[in-house]
Amino acid sequence: MSPPPWTRYATTVTVVGEQVAELVDQGILIWFAEGAPEELHFFTVLHRPTVTTGGVRPGDLVRIDDRAFRVTAVGDVANDNMVNLGHMDLKANGDTEPPLPGDICLEKLPLPEPRPGTTLVIEGEAYEAVS
Amino acid sequence: MAEYKAVRVEAGRGGWGGPLTIKPTAERPLVYSVTGGGIHPVAQRIADLTGGEAFDGFKSSAPFDKIAVAVIDCGGTARVGVYPMKKVPTVDVHATSPAGPLAMFIQEDIFVSGVGPDNVKEV
Repeated sequence: MSPPPWTRYATTVTVVGEQVAELVDQGILIWFAEGAPEELHFFTVLHRPTVTTGGVRPGDLVRIDDRAFRVTAVGDVANDNMVNLGHMDLKANGDTEPPLPGDICLEKLPLPEPRPGTTLVIEGEAYEAVS
Repeated sequence: MAEYKAVRVEAGRGGWGGPLTIKPTAERPLVYSVTGGGIHPVAQRIADLTGGEAFDGFKSSAPFDKIAVAVIDCGGTARVGVYPMKKVPTVDVHATSPAGPLAMFIQEDIFVSGVGPDNVKEV
């Protein structure tokens, strides 16, 4: 039996910028926690996180409401951005090599357009002891 | 009346763009740090050398026309484009290149990346 999933991040959408829909069409969702500077809001999903543990890695699941996306790659600074700023660049491009250091790449499926109240949860297996 | 000095900001290892010459003015005094964990050391160094005012963009908001330079820790998609789009000179501490939905605004004369404190030099 596999261990129960471990929540790496959990949040609820509060405000959706006016250009988010265009980015969704390109397979991109940009997230920042509430409190991000106003100039970033137009293309951003603002949210209020409840779990900010971080540590997302390939193989994890990103759940947006009732949809689930497998993580295929994680850029070098993606976890720092997520934990420090609630910032994520989700890209549903199926890449296994992250093209940019901030990217969290997901399997290539159509992304939903978040609304206020939409939930995002990232879960994966608990880490084994790291040697 | 504050006296401001210029600095030259060069691309660091693996970085792109620049060099940029940054000199705050009385009208544009702010060294605007849009980074995790408060004022980034690169922003602090630019502020220290120029006499500009280090400002944490996640703590409070600044009018765009007061910003001399934006310092970001962007992973390549979002912040890299927003400040160049608004014609604000932009310094990314990560070694990014033009990409993302606003890539067309990221030009060598307004953007430099891979920057550490050692890449900020007095003129």
